[in-house]
Amino acid sequence: MDRRLTAYLLRRVALAGIMLFGLVCLTFVIANVAPNDPAALAAGPDAGRSQIEQARRDYGLDRPLHEQFWRYVSDLAQGEFGRSIATGRSVGQDLARYFPATLELCLLAMLIGLAIGVPLGVLSALMKDRWVDHLTRIFAVSGIALPPFWFGLLLQLGFATGLGWLPTSGRLSVMTEPPDPITGLLLTDALLRGQWGVFREGLSYIVLPAIVLSFPCMASILRVNRAEMVEALRADYVMSAQAHGVNPWRIVCVHALRNAMLPTLAIIGLRWGWMMSSTVLVETVFDWPGIGLYAVSSAIAGDFKPVMGVTLIVGLNFMVANLIVDLLYGVLDPRLREG
Amino acid sequence: MHSRRHILTALALTPGTSFAFERDGARKVLVFSGNQAVPVLDPHIRYDWSTRMVQQAVYDALLKYEGSPPRIVPWLAERHEASPDGLTYTFHLVANAKFHDGSPVDAEAVRFSFERALRLNAGVAWMLKDFLRPENITAVDARTVRFTLDRPFAPFLSYVPWWYIVNPRLVMANAVDGDMGRRWMTENGAGSGPFRLRRFDGNALIHLDTVPDYWKGWPMGEPARLSGIIYRIIREAAPRRAALQRREADAITNLSPDDIGQLQRLPGIRIEDHPGATTFGIKFNTQQGPTADINLRKAIAYAFDYDSLITIHNGSAVLQTSPFPPAMAGHIDVPGIPRRDLVKAREYLARSRFPNGGITLEYVYVQGLEDARRIGLSLLDSLRALNIAVNIVGQPWTTMVSRGSRPETAPNMTSVYVTPVGTDPDTVAYQYHRDSWGLFYGMSHYENPEVWRMIEAARAEGDTARRMDIYAEIQRRIVADQPEIFGMLANRLWAMRDYVKGFSFSPVRLSGEVDLYPMWIDA
Amino acid sequence: MTRKLRLAVWLLTRSFASMLGIALVVSIVTLALIGPWIVPYPDHVAGGINLANKLQPPSAAHWFGTDEVGLDILTRVIIGARVSLLVGIGITLSAALIGVPLGILAGLVGGPLREAIMRLTDLFLSVPGLVLAIALVAALGAGIVNAMIALILVWWPGYVRLAESKALSIRSEPYIEAARVAGATTTRILWRHVLPNSISPLIVKMSMDIGQAILAVASLGFLGLGARPPTPEWGAMISIARGYLPDWWWYAIFPGAFIYAAVLGFNLLGDGLRDILDPKSNRG
Repeated sequence: MDRRLTAYLLRRVALAGIMLFGLVCLTFVIANVAPNDPAALAAGPDAGRSQIEQARRDYGLDRPLHEQFWRYVSDLAQGEFGRSIATGRSVGQDLARYFPATLELCLLAMLIGLAIGVPLGVLSALMKDRWVDHLTRIFAVSGIALPPFWFGLLLQLGFATGLGWLPTSGRLSVMTEPPDPITGLLLTDALLRGQWGVFREGLSYIVLPAIVLSFPCMASILRVNRAEMVEALRADYVMSAQAHGVNPWRIVCVHALRNAMLPTLAIIGLRWGWMMSSTVLVETVFDWPGIGLYAVSSAIAGDFKPVMGVTLIVGLNFMVANLIVDLLYGVLDPRLREG
Repeated sequence: MHSRRHILTALALTPGTSFAFERDGARKVLVFSGNQAVPVLDPHIRYDWSTRMVQQAVYDALLKYEGSPPRIVPWLAERHEASPDGLTYTFHLVANAKFHDGSPVDAEAVRFSFERALRLNAGVAWMLKDFLRPENITAVDARTVRFTLDRPFAPFLSYVPWWYIVNPRLVMANAVDGDMGRRWMTENGAGSGPFRLRRFDGNALIHLDTVPDYWKGWPMGEPARLSGIIYRIIREAAPRRAALQRREADAITNLSPDDIGQLQRLPGIRIEDHPGATTFGIKFNTQQGPTADINLRKAIAYAFDYDSLITIHNGSAVLQTSPFPPAMAGHIDVPGIPRRDLVKAREYLARSRFPNGGITLEYVYVQGLEDARRIGLSLLDSLRALNIAVNIVGQPWTTMVSRGSRPETAPNMTSVYVTPVGTDPDTVAYQYHRDSWGLFYGMSHYENPEVWRMIEAARAEGDTARRMDIYAEIQRRIVADQPEIFGMLANRLWAMRDYVKGFSFSPVRLSGEVDLYPMWIDA
Repeated sequence: MTRKLRLAVWLLTRSFASMLGIALVVSIVTLALIGPWIVPYPDHVAGGINLANKLQPPSAAHWFGTDEVGLDILTRVIIGARVSLLVGIGITLSAALIGVPLGILAGLVGGPLREAIMRLTDLFLSVPGLVLAIALVAALGAGIVNAMIALILVWWPGYVRLAESKALSIRSEPYIEAARVAGATTTRILWRHVLPNSISPLIVKMSMDIGQAILAVASLGFLGLGARPPTPEWGAMISIARGYLPDWWWYAIFPGAFIYAAVLGFNLLGDGLRDILDPKSNRG
């Protein structure tokens, strides 16, 4: 491999590692500026002093802060996220349980975003400055402007409570046993195990939250595709292809769209982290058992270890997605390696 | 209402909604829904209403609370006796009780369970920790256990029903690093109770199967016995209510007063509305700041609009007539407990350090508690009459408690819900003792050495009549000192389909908690 | 300049989307300015209760109905515009005031200082804002001021990036080199060249950000981490109102519609401005 490219890759990875450590420090500082006594939370409302002190010892809260910090860091190095003060459960195990649900939601939302964003972007570019273009622009900006929690409530009101077509909240009905995990993603597992009923049911639960989550990302994809397409359609080779009588749809689909691929991928990478963070709202509305709901309910209870864990996981996703985009660009666009 | 019923009919016809309760083979499954997760099942680590409901289903204790007013009935112990000096309690176990793995519930299991709870020093431990040492619990023979207390403690028996018996063999087989099985017990059951765990996902649902040959038998008879019960967590009120309407749940709790109004009008739904035992009070900081002045406290107590407490709950609440809840032994209606009287309020204000008001007081509530927030708005409204402004602040439980731990940082006013864990008056009275300063129910840092002495005396008093006399006096004194606005007791509310049978109310249970054992479906 | 301005205005009016944005922003700002004088129940702003009148459906007396303690929702939604707008502008301005000087500094000075500033910026940019803001507000305590602090903390790095890239690109322009050779001071270069060149992307970003900040505060409010009662904040209103769905739908609908309108307005405006002022950066 190109030496310069390797150096570039290594530099990016090393940088991401440093950032991650920075993030650990940041979350630790935030968790410890809170003027509260976690031990009282751990011991429960009726506990006396002896139980509160016991909890303080059990959770190592009686140790000096720097010691707590190093313990947290060394735990993290072993993949341990510490224990939740409110429940005493291992945050790592909880994250492992909730993350697949969030991942599944985000993946589906991303798919929806692509499936709608790309064609609308193309359409908008082809109809540039006509009313279709104006409408899609308003639609795209709406995607960013719609408060996800309110939009979610509206969809619930319409499709679940009103029409009764879809369930209101949750991931599966109570009597349905989830398929034995292979990937942890419920829909994929149901497919892999050939459980069509479970798959259909799972789909009916996930569709509303996924739509809500997909909106901002759909908007970005739409805008990028429109811009790229407008530019590509103006490019010389498209013009000349047109002049040579190549089918205009072929031009759109093959040439112009291919050019729009890289920026679209970049947007997906950039949007990925944001999407994970808006699950905080969407999961709260739809009672979706993912890390967003986990973070919010812990934050409200003043239980910081889970919040720190979720911040790290989301931050990690964000960094990895950015890194992949950077690397892709680095591989595909040699000029960047200099920087 | 016509249109609503219309929607319901439409709902029933759409695919995906079930027409009736869930079934599992030939037997029925009852789905109960509430808002609170069950993060830790271990009965010696934690309890709250939802957790204890599941613990009570999976585990048995020596004694059990039943009915309203609550009675303590024999359970794993068929009888028990106390020595005249109040130091020794002996329990005789039933012969046929067995754990889910078939091993018998013997005296050693009881001893082990109490020892485990005391050593872990969490959850229920606070109840007996100061009076009972692990080495003073002896298994006399296979069916006899003896507890020797350090000093007499009259409320002892009232706490025993919350000390569940675990299977020592199973627990110790799963112990790691000397944790007495703590990690394993978080999500696994080791009990002898009427239900065993089938699926445990504490944040979403818990599926319990009935134990067919439960040693105590089934009250509804074998044919009507359920296959099991599912506790489903739905955090938001609106979807939970919808689940009941769509028959995705057979019974629900954590209802807002306005929900009840709506549900009451629907056919096929029954509301269980029972007087609660949880007191809501607004604790003053009696040591520091403006509220250290008893005249100001009295002024606020007389200015507060008590009727709004009832209206906020749509009538499903009663005002406190004493610091003690009505269901508690020794409760009296204290004469002259403040009600809204602006003339008196202004008189007291005039005698205070702030005769013209002009101050701002902080009112802190646990963030997320809707009723407490609305009561804050009512307080704000009421105190306008005294020219006192109210700053309403929602804080997490942890922040509230740590602020309340010292008089210097305790808020001027804090809204506090207290549910007594037993029927003994000591559980409430002790909240006004010096030892409770800084704990969440002791946030007022109430100071009256004479009352403290009376609380200690009542604790050790063997003669019930004399004991109750002391408690009557304690209630009067506390009301006179006004360490808090004595608020209300909200009713406990459940809504269920009318085919749900066997529900029985007991005020000693926590807010949404139900006894799952006698419940069944008649349809 | 005036010709350019006139051209910009003409371009703006030609776009339906931009006009819609302007109309929305103007309406919201007007409401916020004259709100206290036009609301039907001014005494419902400071909170209180009127339980006899709770959860009334929309009517002539209460166009948007009443809430769970009997307050007029129209009144509270209009005053909510004031709250949201102030908060949105406050967050955006503060973030710009922190971020832009840091960015220009980094871009002009370079070296280890630039490295330090930019790595810190990257760190904050690598954490999705909302999660970090939730953690911060949970730690600091719920309340509108703390929500603002948290959002400013997650918002400033964007301005560093923008200002730094502008400063960098300008630094290498030949005419700056020339000015430097001619003995111009850094301050002068900054004042004469860097700032004017950054102003249009800055305006575009700030317009968009006001909308996003309004949305972010509402989101925190919805999660119960925003404004304290009785402050009429849109997100907090929806947070309470969701418990009253579907029967009392108006309670959640109206505040949400206002959030949507406000954020849409600022975003459309920013979008339109970008097309005119900064046509090359038309990306996502």
